[in-house]
Amino acid sequence: MRTLTLLLLVTLLAACATVSTQKMESGDRSLGERMVVNLDAAWNKVALPNTGPAQTWTMEGLPVDQLLIYSGVKDGEVIHGTVFGSKLKSFAFRSAMQPDEIVAMFEGMLTRDGSAFKLVKLEPSSFGGAKGLRFEYSVIRKVDNVRLSGVGYASVNGGELFAMVYSAPQLGFFPRHQANVQQIAQSARISLKPGGGMGEGTRKPAAAQPEPACRTQAECRALGINQK
Amino acid sequence: MPARFSRPDIGTDEGGLWAMMDREETRLRRSPFNLRDPQLQAHVQEMACRLAGEHCPDIRVHLVRTPYFNASMAPNGMMQVWSGLMLRADNEAQLAAVLGHEIGHYLARHSVERLRDAKSRTAFGQFLGMFGVVGLIGQMGVIASMFAYSREHERAADRIGAILMQQAGYDLTEAPKVWANLLLEANARPGGRERNPLFATHPAQEDRQAALAELAAKFQGGVANDAEWQARIQPHLRDWLNEEVKRGQHEESLAFLNRASGRAMGKPDYLCARGEVYRLRGGETDLQAALDDFRAAAALGNEPPETHRGLGMIYRQQKRGAEAKASFDRYLELAPQAPDVLMIRSYLEELRA
Repeated sequence: MRTLTLLLLVTLLAACATVSTQKMESGDRSLGERMVVNLDAAWNKVALPNTGPAQTWTMEGLPVDQLLIYSGVKDGEVIHGTVFGSKLKSFAFRSAMQPDEIVAMFEGMLTRDGSAFKLVKLEPSSFGGAKGLRFEYSVIRKVDNVRLSGVGYASVNGGELFAMVYSAPQLGFFPRHQANVQQIAQSARISLKPGGGMGEGTRKPAAAQPEPACRTQAECRALGINQK
Repeated sequence: MPARFSRPDIGTDEGGLWAMMDREETRLRRSPFNLRDPQLQAHVQEMACRLAGEHCPDIRVHLVRTPYFNASMAPNGMMQVWSGLMLRADNEAQLAAVLGHEIGHYLARHSVERLRDAKSRTAFGQFLGMFGVVGLIGQMGVIASMFAYSREHERAADRIGAILMQQAGYDLTEAPKVWANLLLEANARPGGRERNPLFATHPAQEDRQAALAELAAKFQGGVANDAEWQARIQPHLRDWLNEEVKRGQHEESLAFLNRASGRAMGKPDYLCARGEVYRLRGGETDLQAALDDFRAAAALGNEPPETHRGLGMIYRQQKRGAEAKASFDRYLELAPQAPDVLMIRSYLEELRA
Protein backbone atom coordinates (compact mmCIF):
# COMPACT_ATOMS: atom_id res chain seq x y z
CA MET A 1 0.00 0.00 0.00
CA ARG A 2 2.82 2.34 0.92
CA THR A 3 4.57 1.61 -2.39
CA LEU A 4 1.36 2.26 -4.29
CA THR A 5 0.87 5.56 -2.52
CA LEU A 6 4.43 6.58 -3.34
CA LEU A 7 3.97 5.57 -6.96
CA LEU A 8 0.77 7.59 -7.19
CA LEU A 9 2.51 10.57 -5.63
CA VAL A 10 5.42 10.36 -8.07
CA THR A 11 3.01 10.06 -11.02
CA LEU A 12 1.04 13.03 -9.77
CA LEU A 13 4.17 15.16 -9.33
CA ALA A 14 5.39 14.17 -12.79
CA ALA A 15 2.05 15.19 -14.28
CA CYS A 16 2.23 18.52 -12.46
CA ALA A 17 5.62 19.24 -13.96
CA THR A 18 4.61 18.38 -17.55
CA VAL A 19 5.29 21.15 -20.02
CA SER A 20 4.36 20.57 -23.65
CA THR A 21 4.96 22.78 -26.67
CA GLN A 22 2.90 22.98 -29.82
CA LYS A 23 3.86 24.87 -32.95
CA MET A 24 1.20 27.35 -34.07
CA GLU A 25 1.66 27.57 -37.84
CA SER A 26 0.78 30.69 -39.81
CA GLY A 27 -2.81 31.07 -40.93
CA ASP A 28 -6.12 31.33 -39.12
CA ARG A 29 -6.20 29.97 -35.57
CA SER A 30 -9.27 29.62 -33.36
CA LEU A 31 -8.74 30.60 -29.76
CA GLY A 32 -11.54 29.43 -27.58
CA GLU A 33 -15.11 29.52 -28.80
CA ARG A 34 -15.36 33.12 -29.89
CA MET A 35 -12.01 34.42 -31.15
CA VAL A 36 -9.99 33.79 -34.29
CA VAL A 37 -6.61 35.30 -35.15
CA ASN A 38 -4.47 35.15 -38.26
CA LEU A 39 -0.75 34.49 -37.88
CA ASP A 40 1.85 35.77 -40.31
CA ALA A 41 4.56 33.75 -38.59
CA ALA A 42 4.67 30.59 -36.53
CA TRP A 43 4.59 30.78 -32.74
CA ASN A 44 5.16 28.22 -30.01
CA LYS A 45 2.22 27.51 -27.76
CA VAL A 46 3.41 26.34 -24.36
CA ALA A 47 1.07 24.30 -22.22
CA LEU A 48 2.12 24.96 -18.65
CA PRO A 49 0.33 23.53 -15.67
CA ASN A 50 -1.83 25.91 -13.70
CA THR A 51 -1.62 29.06 -15.82
CA GLY A 52 -5.23 30.12 -15.56
CA PRO A 53 -7.44 30.99 -18.53
CA ALA A 54 -4.69 32.35 -20.80
CA GLN A 55 -2.93 30.56 -23.62
CA THR A 56 0.82 31.13 -23.40
CA TRP A 57 2.70 31.67 -26.64
CA THR A 58 6.36 32.50 -27.20
CA MET A 59 8.74 33.19 -30.06
CA GLU A 60 12.04 32.91 -28.24
CA GLY A 61 11.07 30.54 -25.45
CA LEU A 62 10.06 31.20 -21.86
CA PRO A 63 10.91 33.23 -19.90
CA VAL A 64 12.42 35.40 -22.65
CA ASP A 65 9.19 36.50 -24.29
CA GLN A 66 5.60 35.70 -23.47
CA LEU A 67 2.32 36.37 -25.23
CA LEU A 68 -0.74 35.73 -23.07
CA ILE A 69 -4.00 35.37 -24.97
CA TYR A 70 -7.36 35.51 -23.24
CA SER A 71 -10.50 34.46 -25.06
CA GLY A 72 -13.78 34.82 -23.22
CA VAL A 73 -12.78 35.32 -19.58
CA LYS A 74 -15.97 35.42 -17.54
CA ASP A 75 -17.02 37.80 -14.80
CA GLY A 76 -15.27 36.90 -11.56
CA GLU A 77 -12.71 34.62 -13.22
CA VAL A 78 -9.11 34.92 -12.01
CA ILE A 79 -6.80 35.77 -14.93
CA HIS A 80 -3.73 33.85 -13.77
CA GLY A 81 -2.87 30.50 -12.28
CA THR A 82 -3.34 30.12 -8.57
CA VAL A 83 -1.58 27.81 -6.20
CA PHE A 84 -3.63 26.28 -3.43
CA GLY A 85 -2.80 27.97 -0.15
CA SER A 86 -0.90 30.80 -1.86
CA LYS A 87 -0.63 33.99 0.16
CA LEU A 88 -0.49 36.16 -2.96
CA LYS A 89 -3.35 38.36 -4.07
CA SER A 90 -5.41 37.05 -6.98
CA PHE A 91 -6.64 39.31 -9.76
CA ALA A 92 -10.02 38.60 -11.28
CA PHE A 93 -11.89 40.12 -14.21
CA ARG A 94 -15.14 41.93 -13.55
CA SER A 95 -17.40 42.69 -16.48
CA ALA A 96 -18.06 46.23 -15.20
CA MET A 97 -14.37 47.15 -15.32
CA GLN A 98 -13.40 50.42 -16.98
CA PRO A 99 -10.32 50.44 -19.26
CA ASP A 100 -8.02 51.71 -16.51
CA GLU A 101 -9.26 48.98 -14.18
CA ILE A 102 -8.50 46.33 -16.79
CA VAL A 103 -4.97 47.72 -17.07
CA ALA A 104 -4.68 47.78 -13.26
CA MET A 105 -5.76 44.13 -13.21
CA PHE A 106 -3.01 43.15 -15.65
CA GLU A 107 -0.55 45.33 -13.74
CA GLY A 108 -1.45 43.47 -10.57
CA MET A 109 -0.93 40.14 -12.29
CA LEU A 110 2.43 41.16 -13.74
CA THR A 111 3.70 42.44 -10.40
CA ARG A 112 2.58 39.56 -8.16
CA ASP A 113 6.24 38.54 -7.84
CA GLY A 114 7.30 42.03 -6.73
CA SER A 115 8.24 43.26 -10.21
CA ALA A 116 7.84 46.98 -10.92
CA PHE A 117 5.35 48.11 -13.57
CA LYS A 118 5.11 51.45 -15.32
CA LEU A 119 2.29 52.38 -17.65
CA VAL A 120 3.69 54.13 -20.71
CA LYS A 121 0.55 54.67 -22.77
CA LEU A 122 -3.15 53.88 -22.60
CA GLU A 123 -5.35 54.63 -25.56
CA PRO A 124 -8.71 53.64 -26.98
CA SER A 125 -8.51 51.00 -29.66
CA SER A 126 -10.69 48.32 -31.13
CA PHE A 127 -9.77 44.70 -30.53
CA GLY A 128 -11.43 41.81 -32.28
CA GLY A 129 -14.01 44.15 -33.76
CA ALA A 130 -15.17 45.47 -30.37
CA LYS A 131 -14.47 48.77 -28.67
CA GLY A 132 -11.46 48.30 -26.46
CA LEU A 133 -8.08 49.57 -25.37
CA ARG A 134 -4.40 49.32 -26.13
CA PHE A 135 -1.69 49.88 -23.55
CA GLU A 136 2.09 49.97 -23.49
CA TYR A 137 4.14 49.36 -20.38
CA SER A 138 7.54 48.59 -18.99
CA VAL A 139 8.37 46.11 -16.26
CA ILE A 140 11.49 45.54 -14.18
CA ARG A 141 11.39 41.86 -13.39
CA LYS A 142 12.12 41.24 -9.72
CA VAL A 143 13.73 37.87 -10.12
CA ASP A 144 16.56 39.02 -12.40
CA ASN A 145 16.20 42.83 -12.72
CA VAL A 146 15.66 42.50 -16.49
CA ARG A 147 13.83 45.43 -18.06
CA LEU A 148 10.90 44.33 -20.18
CA SER A 149 8.68 46.23 -22.57
CA GLY A 150 5.12 45.21 -23.09
CA VAL A 151 1.99 45.88 -25.08
CA GLY A 152 -1.58 44.85 -24.35
CA TYR A 153 -4.88 44.86 -26.23
CA ALA A 154 -8.26 44.17 -24.69
CA SER A 155 -11.96 44.43 -25.26
CA VAL A 156 -15.07 43.23 -23.47
CA ASN A 157 -18.02 41.72 -25.29
CA GLY A 158 -21.02 39.89 -23.95
CA GLY A 159 -19.54 40.52 -20.51
CA GLU A 160 -16.44 38.47 -21.38
CA LEU A 161 -12.85 39.65 -21.63
CA PHE A 162 -10.73 39.19 -24.76
CA ALA A 163 -7.12 40.28 -24.48
CA MET A 164 -3.52 39.84 -25.56
CA VAL A 165 -0.58 40.85 -23.39
CA TYR A 166 2.97 40.57 -24.70
CA SER A 167 6.19 41.12 -22.69
CA ALA A 168 9.81 40.74 -23.81
CA PRO A 169 13.20 42.23 -22.86
CA GLN A 170 13.48 45.86 -23.94
CA LEU A 171 16.77 45.24 -25.67
CA GLY A 172 16.47 43.21 -28.84
CA PHE A 173 13.54 40.92 -28.27
CA PHE A 174 10.63 43.32 -27.86
CA PRO A 175 11.44 45.39 -30.95
CA ARG A 176 12.01 42.18 -32.90
CA HIS A 177 8.53 40.78 -32.28
CA GLN A 178 6.42 43.88 -31.68
CA ALA A 179 5.17 44.06 -35.28
CA ASN A 180 4.22 40.39 -35.21
CA VAL A 181 2.17 40.91 -32.05
CA GLN A 182 0.50 43.96 -33.53
CA GLN A 183 -0.37 41.96 -36.64
CA ILE A 184 -2.02 39.26 -34.54
CA ALA A 185 -3.95 41.87 -32.54
CA GLN A 186 -5.17 43.57 -35.70
CA SER A 187 -6.24 40.25 -37.18
CA ALA A 188 -8.29 39.22 -34.13
CA ARG A 189 -11.98 38.65 -34.79
CA ILE A 190 -14.51 38.01 -32.04
CA SER A 191 -17.98 36.51 -32.61
CA LEU A 192 -19.72 39.54 -31.23
CA LYS A 193 -22.75 39.39 -28.98
CA PRO A 194 -25.03 42.39 -28.46
CA GLY A 195 -24.35 44.45 -25.31
CA GLY A 196 -22.00 43.71 -22.43
CA GLY A 197 -19.24 45.96 -23.77
CA MET A 198 -16.38 47.54 -21.88
CA GLY A 199 -17.56 49.13 -18.65
CA GLU A 200 -21.17 48.13 -19.34
CA GLY A 201 -21.39 45.30 -16.85
CA THR A 202 -23.51 45.64 -13.78
CA ARG A 203 -21.78 47.29 -10.89
CA LYS A 204 -23.45 47.45 -7.54
CA PRO A 205 -24.98 50.89 -7.03
CA ALA A 206 -22.57 53.44 -5.64
CA ALA A 207 -25.17 55.58 -3.94
CA ALA A 208 -28.92 55.72 -3.85
CA GLN A 209 -29.06 59.42 -4.67
CA PRO A 210 -26.30 61.29 -6.46
CA GLU A 211 -25.00 64.11 -4.36
CA PRO A 212 -23.97 67.52 -5.68
CA ALA A 213 -20.41 67.48 -7.01
CA CYS A 214 -19.43 70.28 -4.67
CA ARG A 215 -21.07 72.05 -1.82
CA THR A 216 -19.18 75.30 -1.30
CA GLN A 217 -17.67 77.82 -3.70
CA ALA A 218 -14.16 76.96 -2.49
CA GLU A 219 -14.74 73.25 -3.06
CA CYS A 220 -16.18 73.89 -6.53
CA ARG A 221 -13.20 76.08 -7.45
CA ALA A 222 -10.81 73.37 -6.25
CA LEU A 223 -12.65 70.81 -8.38
CA GLY A 224 -12.69 73.08 -11.45
CA ILE A 225 -16.50 73.08 -11.60
CA ASN A 226 -18.40 76.24 -12.54
CA GLN A 227 -21.35 76.78 -10.24
CA LYS A 228 -24.51 78.08 -11.88
CA MET B 1 27.00 44.61 23.36
CA PRO B 2 29.38 42.12 21.70
CA ALA B 3 32.59 43.30 20.06
CA ARG B 4 32.61 43.88 16.29
CA PHE B 5 32.55 40.66 14.28
CA SER B 6 35.49 39.70 12.12
CA ARG B 7 34.98 38.06 8.73
CA PRO B 8 34.68 34.29 9.20
CA ASP B 9 36.97 31.95 7.35
CA ILE B 10 35.67 31.25 3.82
CA GLY B 11 36.04 27.52 4.46
CA THR B 12 33.35 27.58 7.15
CA ASP B 13 29.60 27.49 6.58
CA GLU B 14 29.35 31.02 7.99
CA GLY B 15 32.17 32.22 5.73
CA GLY B 16 30.36 30.77 2.72
CA LEU B 17 27.17 32.56 3.74
CA TRP B 18 29.04 35.88 4.06
CA ALA B 19 30.52 35.41 0.58
CA MET B 20 27.08 34.72 -0.85
CA MET B 21 25.68 37.80 0.85
CA ASP B 22 28.58 39.89 -0.49
CA ARG B 23 27.64 38.84 -4.03
CA GLU B 24 24.00 39.61 -3.33
CA GLU B 25 24.97 43.05 -2.03
CA THR B 26 26.91 43.78 -5.22
CA ARG B 27 23.83 42.78 -7.20
CA LEU B 28 21.62 44.93 -5.00
CA ARG B 29 23.83 48.00 -5.51
CA ARG B 30 23.26 47.75 -9.26
CA SER B 31 19.60 46.77 -9.01
CA PRO B 32 16.96 49.10 -10.44
CA PHE B 33 15.03 48.39 -7.23
CA ASN B 34 17.75 50.16 -5.28
CA LEU B 35 16.24 53.48 -4.19
CA ARG B 36 18.77 56.07 -5.23
CA ASP B 37 18.13 58.90 -2.80
CA PRO B 38 21.47 59.75 -1.16
CA GLN B 39 19.91 62.03 1.46
CA LEU B 40 17.32 59.53 2.65
CA GLN B 41 19.86 56.72 2.51
CA ALA B 42 22.33 58.74 4.59
CA HIS B 43 19.63 59.51 7.12
CA VAL B 44 18.51 55.89 7.58
CA GLN B 45 22.18 54.85 7.70
CA GLU B 46 22.73 57.40 10.47
CA MET B 47 19.73 56.01 12.35
CA ALA B 48 21.16 52.48 12.05
CA CYS B 49 24.49 53.80 13.32
CA ARG B 50 22.90 55.46 16.33
CA LEU B 51 21.29 52.14 17.18
CA ALA B 52 24.26 49.89 16.43
CA GLY B 53 26.92 51.90 18.31
CA GLU B 54 30.40 50.53 17.70
CA HIS B 55 29.05 48.11 15.05
CA CYS B 56 28.16 51.09 12.85
CA PRO B 57 31.09 50.68 10.40
CA ASP B 58 29.95 47.12 9.65
CA ILE B 59 26.37 47.99 8.76
CA ARG B 60 25.44 49.15 5.28
CA VAL B 61 21.86 50.28 4.71
CA HIS B 62 20.24 49.76 1.30
CA LEU B 63 16.84 51.29 0.58
CA VAL B 64 14.79 49.06 -1.70
CA ARG B 65 11.77 50.06 -3.74
CA THR B 66 9.29 47.29 -2.90
CA PRO B 67 5.84 48.09 -1.49
CA TYR B 68 5.81 45.58 1.35
CA PHE B 69 6.55 45.95 5.05
CA ASN B 70 9.98 44.43 5.39
CA ALA B 71 13.53 44.97 6.59
CA SER B 72 16.25 42.39 6.82
CA MET B 73 19.82 42.17 7.92
CA ALA B 74 22.33 39.68 6.58
CA PRO B 75 25.24 38.42 8.69
CA ASN B 76 27.76 40.35 6.53
CA GLY B 77 26.13 43.65 7.59
CA MET B 78 23.92 44.23 4.54
CA MET B 79 20.68 45.78 5.76
CA GLN B 80 17.71 46.14 3.43
CA VAL B 81 14.89 48.53 4.20
CA TRP B 82 11.89 48.29 1.88
CA SER B 83 9.80 51.26 0.80
CA GLY B 84 6.61 49.63 2.14
CA LEU B 85 8.10 49.80 5.65
CA MET B 86 9.26 53.40 5.28
CA LEU B 87 5.80 54.39 4.06
CA ARG B 88 4.15 52.68 7.03
CA ALA B 89 6.42 54.13 9.73
CA ASP B 90 4.61 57.07 11.30
CA ASN B 91 7.85 58.45 12.66
CA GLU B 92 11.55 57.78 13.10
CA ALA B 93 11.02 55.93 16.38
CA GLN B 94 8.81 53.34 14.64
CA LEU B 95 11.40 52.82 11.92
CA ALA B 96 14.09 52.64 14.61
CA ALA B 97 12.07 49.89 16.32
CA VAL B 98 12.31 47.72 13.19
CA LEU B 99 15.94 48.60 12.48
CA GLY B 100 16.84 47.92 16.12
CA HIS B 101 15.05 44.56 15.94
CA GLU B 102 17.05 43.57 12.83
CA ILE B 103 20.29 44.75 14.42
CA GLY B 104 19.29 42.63 17.42
CA HIS B 105 19.25 39.53 15.18
CA TYR B 106 22.64 40.57 13.82
CA LEU B 107 24.26 41.13 17.20
CA ALA B 108 22.94 37.83 18.55
CA ARG B 109 24.06 36.08 15.33
CA HIS B 110 20.69 34.38 14.99
CA SER B 111 21.18 33.85 11.26
CA VAL B 112 24.10 31.53 11.85
CA GLU B 113 21.95 29.36 14.09
CA ARG B 114 19.22 29.32 11.49
CA LEU B 115 21.73 28.50 8.76
CA ARG B 116 22.66 25.38 10.63
CA ASP B 117 18.96 24.52 10.96
CA ALA B 118 18.38 24.79 7.23
CA LYS B 119 19.43 21.30 6.29
CA SER B 120 17.63 20.75 3.04
CA ARG B 121 18.20 22.62 -0.20
CA THR B 122 14.63 23.92 -0.24
CA ALA B 123 14.90 25.19 3.27
CA PHE B 124 18.21 26.81 2.39
CA GLY B 125 16.57 28.71 -0.46
CA GLN B 126 13.92 29.94 1.92
CA PHE B 127 16.58 30.74 4.48
CA LEU B 128 18.23 33.07 1.94
CA GLY B 129 14.88 34.77 1.53
CA MET B 130 15.18 35.99 5.10
CA PHE B 131 17.75 38.47 3.81
CA GLY B 132 15.70 39.56 0.83
CA VAL B 133 17.78 37.50 -1.59
CA VAL B 134 15.00 37.14 -4.10
CA GLY B 135 17.03 36.65 -7.25
CA LEU B 136 18.49 33.38 -6.10
CA ILE B 137 15.22 31.79 -5.20
CA GLY B 138 12.91 33.61 -7.53
CA GLN B 139 10.30 34.58 -5.04
CA MET B 140 9.29 37.46 -2.88
CA GLY B 141 10.83 38.00 0.49
CA VAL B 142 7.30 38.16 1.81
CA ILE B 143 6.83 34.52 0.87
CA ALA B 144 10.30 33.58 1.90
CA SER B 145 9.66 34.96 5.35
CA MET B 146 7.66 31.78 5.90
CA PHE B 147 11.08 30.48 6.82
CA ALA B 148 11.90 32.92 9.53
CA TYR B 149 13.63 33.24 12.85
CA SER B 150 12.22 31.19 15.68
CA ARG B 151 9.87 32.78 18.15
CA GLU B 152 12.63 32.77 20.76
CA HIS B 153 14.91 34.63 18.36
CA GLU B 154 12.17 37.14 17.60
CA ARG B 155 11.56 37.80 21.29
CA ALA B 156 15.27 38.20 21.90
CA ALA B 157 15.61 40.59 18.94
CA ASP B 158 12.66 42.61 20.29
CA ARG B 159 14.40 42.94 23.66
CA ILE B 160 17.77 43.90 22.14
CA GLY B 161 16.05 46.31 19.74
CA ALA B 162 14.23 47.98 22.60
CA ILE B 163 17.46 48.50 24.54
CA LEU B 164 19.17 49.91 21.44
CA MET B 165 16.23 52.25 20.85
CA GLN B 166 16.38 53.50 24.39
CA GLN B 167 20.15 54.02 24.26
CA ALA B 168 19.81 55.90 20.96
CA GLY B 169 17.22 58.23 22.50
CA TYR B 170 14.11 57.07 20.64
CA ASP B 171 10.68 56.92 22.25
CA LEU B 172 10.17 53.26 23.09
CA THR B 173 6.38 53.62 23.30
CA GLU B 174 6.38 53.72 19.49
CA ALA B 175 7.73 50.15 19.24
CA PRO B 176 4.54 48.27 20.20
CA LYS B 177 2.59 50.52 17.81
CA VAL B 178 4.53 49.09 14.86
CA TRP B 179 3.18 45.62 15.60
CA ALA B 180 -0.29 46.91 16.47
CA ASN B 181 -0.48 48.68 13.10
CA LEU B 182 0.74 45.62 11.26
CA LEU B 183 -1.79 43.49 13.09
CA LEU B 184 -4.58 45.83 11.99
CA GLU B 185 -3.57 45.33 8.37
CA ALA B 186 -3.21 41.58 8.72
CA ASN B 187 -6.60 41.25 10.32
CA ALA B 188 -8.19 43.39 7.63
CA ARG B 189 -7.06 41.03 4.91
CA PRO B 190 -9.55 38.38 3.76
CA GLY B 191 -8.65 35.30 5.76
CA GLY B 192 -7.12 37.48 8.46
CA ARG B 193 -3.75 36.94 10.03
CA GLU B 194 -3.73 33.24 9.14
CA ARG B 195 -3.08 34.27 5.55
CA ASN B 196 -0.13 36.47 6.45
CA PRO B 197 3.16 34.53 6.50
CA LEU B 198 4.63 37.06 8.88
CA PHE B 199 2.41 35.77 11.62
CA ALA B 200 3.09 32.11 11.01
CA THR B 201 6.36 32.13 12.89
CA HIS B 202 6.41 35.37 14.80
CA PRO B 203 5.26 35.45 18.40
CA ALA B 204 1.64 36.29 19.03
CA GLN B 205 1.43 40.00 18.27
CA GLU B 206 -0.54 40.70 21.42
CA ASP B 207 2.25 39.13 23.51
CA ARG B 208 4.81 41.04 21.58
CA GLN B 209 3.01 44.33 22.03
CA ALA B 210 2.58 43.63 25.74
CA ALA B 211 6.27 42.78 26.21
CA LEU B 212 7.37 45.91 24.38
CA ALA B 213 4.85 48.05 26.23
CA GLU B 214 6.26 46.71 29.51
CA LEU B 215 9.76 47.68 28.45
CA ALA B 216 8.52 51.09 27.31
CA ALA B 217 7.04 51.70 30.75
CA LYS B 218 10.47 51.10 32.30
CA PHE B 219 12.40 53.29 29.87
CA GLN B 220 10.49 56.50 29.42
CA GLY B 221 11.41 59.52 27.33
CA GLY B 222 13.06 59.78 23.96
CA VAL B 223 11.97 61.30 20.68
CA ALA B 224 9.55 60.05 18.01
CA ASN B 225 10.24 62.68 15.29
CA ASP B 226 6.97 62.43 13.40
CA ALA B 227 7.34 65.63 11.41
CA GLU B 228 10.98 64.99 10.54
CA TRP B 229 10.27 61.54 9.16
CA GLN B 230 7.21 62.58 7.20
CA ALA B 231 9.17 65.42 5.64
CA ARG B 232 11.94 63.00 4.66
CA ILE B 233 9.62 60.64 2.81
CA GLN B 234 7.63 63.42 1.17
CA PRO B 235 9.59 63.34 -2.15
CA HIS B 236 8.68 59.66 -2.57
CA LEU B 237 5.19 59.73 -1.13
CA ARG B 238 3.21 59.78 -4.39
CA ASP B 239 5.26 56.99 -5.97
CA TRP B 240 5.05 54.81 -2.88
CA LEU B 241 1.32 55.38 -2.48
CA ASN B 242 0.78 54.57 -6.13
CA GLU B 243 2.67 51.31 -5.66
CA GLU B 244 0.68 50.59 -2.51
CA VAL B 245 -2.61 51.05 -4.35
CA LYS B 246 -1.50 48.87 -7.24
CA ARG B 247 -0.69 45.95 -4.94
CA GLY B 248 -4.38 45.18 -5.13
CA GLN B 249 -4.52 44.30 -1.43
CA HIS B 250 -7.42 46.66 -0.94
CA GLU B 251 -8.32 45.75 2.64
CA GLU B 252 -4.73 45.98 3.91
CA SER B 253 -4.23 49.25 2.05
CA LEU B 254 -7.41 50.71 3.54
CA ALA B 255 -6.34 49.72 7.05
CA PHE B 256 -3.04 51.51 6.49
CA LEU B 257 -4.54 54.54 4.72
CA ASN B 258 -7.27 55.02 7.34
CA ARG B 259 -4.46 55.52 9.82
CA ALA B 260 -2.06 57.44 7.58
CA SER B 261 -4.68 59.90 6.33
CA GLY B 262 -4.51 61.40 9.82
CA ARG B 263 -0.86 62.37 9.35
CA ALA B 264 -0.03 66.04 9.38
CA MET B 265 1.85 66.02 6.07
CA GLY B 266 0.69 64.75 2.69
CA LYS B 267 -2.98 64.50 3.66
CA PRO B 268 -4.29 65.09 0.10
CA ASP B 269 -2.00 62.30 -1.16
CA TYR B 270 -3.27 59.80 1.41
CA LEU B 271 -6.89 60.77 0.74
CA CYS B 272 -6.40 60.43 -3.02
CA ALA B 273 -4.76 57.03 -2.56
CA ARG B 274 -7.59 55.84 -0.34
CA GLY B 275 -10.12 57.13 -2.84
CA GLU B 276 -8.36 55.18 -5.57
CA VAL B 277 -8.38 51.99 -3.48
CA TYR B 278 -12.12 52.37 -2.93
CA ARG B 279 -12.68 53.08 -6.62
CA LEU B 280 -10.71 50.03 -7.73
CA ARG B 281 -12.37 47.77 -5.16
CA GLY B 282 -15.73 48.92 -6.49
CA GLY B 283 -17.98 47.48 -3.79
CA GLU B 284 -21.48 48.58 -2.98
CA THR B 285 -20.58 51.72 -1.06
CA ASP B 286 -17.05 52.14 -2.36
CA LEU B 287 -17.69 54.62 -5.15
CA GLN B 288 -19.34 57.02 -2.75
CA ALA B 289 -16.45 56.63 -0.31
CA ALA B 290 -14.04 57.25 -3.20
CA LEU B 291 -15.94 60.38 -4.21
CA ASP B 292 -15.79 61.69 -0.65
CA ASP B 293 -12.03 61.14 -0.45
CA PHE B 294 -11.25 62.61 -3.85
CA ARG B 295 -13.34 65.65 -3.10
CA ALA B 296 -11.75 66.12 0.30
CA ALA B 297 -8.28 65.84 -1.26
CA ALA B 298 -9.14 68.44 -3.90
CA ALA B 299 -10.60 70.78 -1.31
CA LEU B 300 -7.34 70.67 0.66
CA GLY B 301 -5.31 71.72 -2.39
CA ASN B 302 -1.97 70.43 -3.69
CA GLU B 303 -3.74 67.18 -4.50
CA PRO B 304 -2.30 64.63 -6.95
CA PRO B 305 -3.68 65.05 -10.50
CA GLU B 306 -5.10 61.52 -10.24
CA THR B 307 -7.66 62.92 -7.78
CA HIS B 308 -9.44 64.55 -10.71
CA ARG B 309 -9.09 61.50 -12.93
CA GLY B 310 -10.72 59.42 -10.22
CA LEU B 311 -13.54 61.92 -9.87
CA GLY B 312 -14.02 62.02 -13.64
CA MET B 313 -14.17 58.23 -13.87
CA ILE B 314 -16.84 58.00 -11.19
CA TYR B 315 -18.91 60.86 -12.55
CA ARG B 316 -18.72 59.30 -16.02
CA GLN B 317 -20.01 56.01 -14.63
CA GLN B 318 -22.78 57.87 -12.87
CA LYS B 319 -23.68 59.68 -16.13
CA ARG B 320 -22.93 63.07 -14.59
CA GLY B 321 -21.51 64.52 -17.77
CA ALA B 322 -20.78 68.09 -16.71
CA GLU B 323 -18.91 67.07 -13.59
CA ALA B 324 -17.05 64.32 -15.44
CA LYS B 325 -15.94 66.76 -18.12
CA ALA B 326 -14.78 69.34 -15.56
CA SER B 327 -12.80 66.70 -13.68
CA PHE B 328 -11.15 65.26 -16.79
CA ASP B 329 -10.28 68.76 -18.01
CA ARG B 330 -8.66 69.50 -14.67
CA TYR B 331 -6.73 66.23 -14.79
CA LEU B 332 -5.35 66.99 -18.25
CA GLU B 333 -4.47 70.50 -17.14
CA LEU B 334 -2.49 69.16 -14.15
CA ALA B 335 -0.97 66.14 -15.93
CA PRO B 336 -0.66 66.89 -19.64
CA GLN B 337 1.99 64.19 -20.07
CA ALA B 338 0.10 61.44 -18.25
CA PRO B 339 0.22 58.04 -20.00
CA ASP B 340 -3.56 57.83 -20.26
CA VAL B 341 -4.07 61.23 -21.88
CA LEU B 342 -5.43 59.70 -25.11
CA MET B 343 -7.95 57.59 -23.20
CA ILE B 344 -9.13 60.59 -21.18
CA ARG B 345 -9.48 62.68 -24.35
CA SER B 346 -11.65 59.94 -25.83
CA TYR B 347 -13.89 60.17 -22.77
CA LEU B 348 -14.11 63.93 -23.23
CA GLU B 349 -15.11 63.50 -26.88
CA GLU B 350 -17.72 60.97 -25.83
CA LEU B 351 -19.06 63.40 -23.23
CA ARG B 352 -19.26 66.24 -25.77
CA ALA B 353 -21.15 64.06 -28.26
